[in-house]
Amino acid sequence: MKLLTHNMLTSHVKGVTKGYPLLIKATEVKVNEVDFNPQFVSRMIPKLEWSALVQAADELGHRQDLPVELVPEYEKNEEFLKKVHRVLLEVEVIEGCLRCPESGREFPISRGIPNMLLNDDEV
Amino acid sequence: MMEEAASQLERDHVHSVYDKIAPYFNDSRYKAWPKVQQFLLNLQPGSIVADIGCGNGKYLHINKEVFKMGCDVCRPLVDFAWSQGHEVQMCDGLHLPYRDGCFDALLSIAVIHHLSTKERRIRAIKEMARTLRVGGRIMIYVWAMEQKRRKFEKQDIFVPWNPNPQSPTDREPAKPRKRATAQSVSEAIDNADKHRKVRSTSSVADEEELTCTTPQQSTQRLWFFSRSLDSVFDFGSLSISRSSSRDLSTLSSPTGENERNKSSHWGRGRGLIKQVSSFFSPTSVIGSEEDVFDSVTNLHKGQNAPGGNNNSPENQSVSVSLAQECGSLALPDLVPFQKEHLKQSSDESEGGLQGKEQHESTKSSQGSERQVEGSCLRYYHVFREGELAELIENHVDELLVKHTYFDHANWCVVAEKVQICKI
Repeated sequence: MKLLTHNMLTSHVKGVTKGYPLLIKATEVKVNEVDFNPQFVSRMIPKLEWSALVQAADELGHRQDLPVELVPEYEKNEEFLKKVHRVLLEVEVIEGCLRCPESGREFPISRGIPNMLLNDDEV
Repeated sequence: MMEEAASQLERDHVHSVYDKIAPYFNDSRYKAWPKVQQFLLNLQPGSIVADIGCGNGKYLHINKEVFKMGCDVCRPLVDFAWSQGHEVQMCDGLHLPYRDGCFDALLSIAVIHHLSTKERRIRAIKEMARTLRVGGRIMIYVWAMEQKRRKFEKQDIFVPWNPNPQSPTDREPAKPRKRATAQSVSEAIDNADKHRKVRSTSSVADEEELTCTTPQQSTQRLWFFSRSLDSVFDFGSLSISRSSSRDLSTLSSPTGENERNKSSHWGRGRGLIKQVSSFFSPTSVIGSEEDVFDSVTNLHKGQNAPGGNNNSPENQSVSVSLAQECGSLALPDLVPFQKEHLKQSSDESEGGLQGKEQHESTKSSQGSERQVEGSCLRYYHVFREGELAELIENHVDELLVKHTYFDHANWCVVAEKVQICKI
């Protein structure tokens, strides 16, 4: 699971209203090399919940110096875009779980795949 | 109550079937639908798109300028998609784990026809609409009742799975997961080629199941009628016409071993009957049109619950008549056709169902008359012309239908998410 994906995921346990962002507990993290496409990254940024990304990167110990707030005019800032690229697309959670911040429910991640299926009593 | 029945039907005749047949989903019969491909290629660069019910991820490699993710309930298929370098999750279409309005586009290709009630199909569309941003678009494909060469007589059907007769040697061994993902430009091109040549998949095979061209394939062309879970229970409307039973006359034994290939599907069918029949009671009240499980009144008249001794003829006919109502198995009037055919097919040695060993073997001796891979019957609600668009127009205010068309064996809709002003 990449952090770009994580940014879209939310807890959907019945009754939960504050299920985003999911807290990440990772036991295995991989960093891959992914071709850098600055326009691609730049276009992704407006679609992100930025603070959720920073928090997630932090939880994985991969935040490095990603700023708490978006830098202005990031579109032209290649250095900044590279940092975002790394965190969004290169860092991957292979094993671990996603924890609902409200209910505590844990969704396992195994072999890179989060299992968001709910049990019958959670729907 | 109906919710449970619907869920159970889908578990037995969608989820577990796909779990079994997942390994066979990667042969060369399967291609990506060109119009779906075009929809993806037309997206603005930097879009985020999700394929809801992505199966093995056949669409997830298309368009390297957009970020794609997929989800499905079938673990083996999702695992395969992962092995191809895609971002995928396990989840179910009625409860999507995505925040509101996070996607620029969505795909639902040959998915919602597996939901067994109208209400669930509407819920699935609404769930997808929820995750779509205003102005975003969704493309939905569902099987059409009106096929090129035939029209299904009913909308709720079971379709057996037919593996590629040539199969397993054609299949490529599973490759280790690609490190760089499809997001990377060079990999994406590689992947695209690979997918186009070998791994591209789609519901084309589904169409082939229905409108196959070779005589051999035509022996596998077959479906069973299912009772719609939406309509009032009507015994009179359940009969299968002779014209469709003619198809069944070409039914072949998957293995040519008539003696030993027991009615695995009897076992499975009985299981379904048991589950379904447990919701019926002689005293049920007829509810609304949408509540079929509340409206069955005389299913149990003078009949014992099946599932006990499979061998006696009495139980056979009990089960068969129940099956008739549930529509999950071949009807008794088709038995003569099957018997005829069994004589023919006993001499054939077919490629055989690779998954044969996965079938339950039952002790029933009547099983020899039922050669269908019943444990791999997939439930479908096939759509009439206009039905999908109507469903959206009447029940999903937040989506505006932009295009509807017929593509091969599917009805297709492209709809746009609109802002609803609640006063």
